[in-house]
Amino acid sequence: MEVLRFAIKKLIGGIPLLLGVTFISFLLMVYYGPDKTYELLGKNPTTEQIAEIRHELGYDKPFLVRYGDYLKEIVTLDFGYSDSTGERVNRILKRTIPISMAMVTPGFVLGNLIGVILALTAAHFRGRWMDKLIMGGSVVGMSISLLIVVIAFQIIFSSSYGLDLFPVRGWEVYNVTSYIQYVTVPTLVFIFVSLGYNTRFYRAVIVEEMERDHVRTARAFGTPPAKLLYKNILKNSMIPIITRIMFSIPLVIISGSLVIETYFGIPGVGKVTYDAITTGDQPILKAVVGLTAILFVLTLMATDIMYKMVDPRVSLK
Amino acid sequence: MADTTPLLEVRNLTVEFRTEHGIARAVDNISFDVGFGEALGVVGESGCGKSVTALAILGLIPSPPGRIAAGSIKLNGRELVGLPESKLRKIRGSEISMIFQEPMTALNPVFTVGNQMSDVLRRHKGLSRKQAREDAAELLRLVGIPDPKQRLREYPHELSGGMRQRVMIAMAVSCSPKLLIADEPTTALDVTTQAQVLEEINLLREKLGTAVLFITHDLGVIAELCDRAIVMYCGMIVEEAPIEPLYDRPRHPYTEGLLASIPRIRDRKLKRLPTIAGMVPDLLQLPDGCRFADRCEKATGRCQLEIPTLEGARKRKVACFHPVNG
Repeated sequence: MEVLRFAIKKLIGGIPLLLGVTFISFLLMVYYGPDKTYELLGKNPTTEQIAEIRHELGYDKPFLVRYGDYLKEIVTLDFGYSDSTGERVNRILKRTIPISMAMVTPGFVLGNLIGVILALTAAHFRGRWMDKLIMGGSVVGMSISLLIVVIAFQIIFSSSYGLDLFPVRGWEVYNVTSYIQYVTVPTLVFIFVSLGYNTRFYRAVIVEEMERDHVRTARAFGTPPAKLLYKNILKNSMIPIITRIMFSIPLVIISGSLVIETYFGIPGVGKVTYDAITTGDQPILKAVVGLTAILFVLTLMATDIMYKMVDPRVSLK
Repeated sequence: MADTTPLLEVRNLTVEFRTEHGIARAVDNISFDVGFGEALGVVGESGCGKSVTALAILGLIPSPPGRIAAGSIKLNGRELVGLPESKLRKIRGSEISMIFQEPMTALNPVFTVGNQMSDVLRRHKGLSRKQAREDAAELLRLVGIPDPKQRLREYPHELSGGMRQRVMIAMAVSCSPKLLIADEPTTALDVTTQAQVLEEINLLREKLGTAVLFITHDLGVIAELCDRAIVMYCGMIVEEAPIEPLYDRPRHPYTEGLLASIPRIRDRKLKRLPTIAGMVPDLLQLPDGCRFADRCEKATGRCQLEIPTLEGARKRKVACFHPVNG
């Protein structure tokens, strides 16, 4: 009950955030965004024609009315039709979001999981060669540009110069085998790129926790190492770990997959967004920005509830 | 008790820490005994090696950078130095247990008191979950915590500092240890709570016959609780004596200085509380001779060159070339 009340409170508290995000993005992307009038007109249009098109596009309405229309779209979750294809925006999203999720989930989960495992190993062997090896590796991983990683992995795994095991690009998924075929290389890229950051972050968190008094107490009472790791160190490091994972979810779904989807030709929401930005397809942009903001508010709320689950000191009041 | 083997026998213990600037010898060649059921106080200022000694007994010196460089620690005749970690784990919390300084942070914040207490009981005594919980409640009652069943369900942050320290004590005595190491258990508590906690330790000691190694910088606390005390300075033992003679006629100038600087009600009003002049030498740049020489009024040329050894009758030893009250 406490959780439910908290959730409702958080959702209401998220409204100003939503308004802020949508206002700024509306201002930059729509109000001062690309003007489509002249694309739709022939050569040498008359003033009347221009005015007519502007009226059709809604450019002549006052600012607040246009912003209000946008808010209405967000509330009703109806974003109209794409400028470039004429397809319903909702249908586009329904088609592309699952693809993005399917593409990004394995890499995201494994990237964090392996990150935590490597961080625990490094922290356990703190100061010894194992620690230095892992930390050195993560600096290397962090330092290599995503674009280089994409190209290198495509050459290594998908070209006749390398192993030639997987398709270079595309997404023709209809069963598990084809899913694995198309998801493997993007996943490896994703893991490679995120692992360095994750490992460094998690190691710092875990090392700090290892030096706490309660860990020493547990050791002085004969707690075996595995239990020490789980009960004292990992459970107490959960707050920063959850924070990092949860907050990267909205970003990962939209922007994280943007580059990877573009380079691997995967028709996910990242690709759609990228195309919408380059072609000025405002209905899609408005939908993506609005939904990302909503996703952020929901994530914030879920994160706070998860804090409460791992740490009894956190109060939801 | 005389001439029987002691419970704890520490011989020539040396603990070193590797630092960026060289090797720091935190504990330098110390030897002492704790008899069965005896309460031994270890006094000294911060950084003198008291806590390191305690951690060394439990095999908990963080390594690296620290290590036991030399010496032997025998519990009941059994050598602890060099014992594999898995065997040491069986001793920690059951034969030797320890109470720490900071009750605020010494317990795991994300598990209930009951969970942490029954963990120890189940591990060392092989009790069932249910039995362990009942025992834990009984232990809390033993250390004077009202409504123990309810307390078991609470998290450490829901208890006061004194209450948490009692929980620590209950946990420490839960497996009837032979030796209880108390590392400044009352330092972080306010004075009234301090007195209660000391009282609790004293009662338990009488009830359970546990020997106590009481580490503190507070000479007053030692006087209340201990039979005997050793005074440490800069990693070395400078004086060892039964409590009363130590207070009445301290032999080492450092002990004398410590006693003189205790605030107390005196006959004549003092302008200033006496202090020991100077600073503790850096562990990385120790003098060749007596480590207290630079702060000692009685120091002579010999003190600057030679390190005095701990000498004297069995229970009354001092490491000084010019002992006072001689």
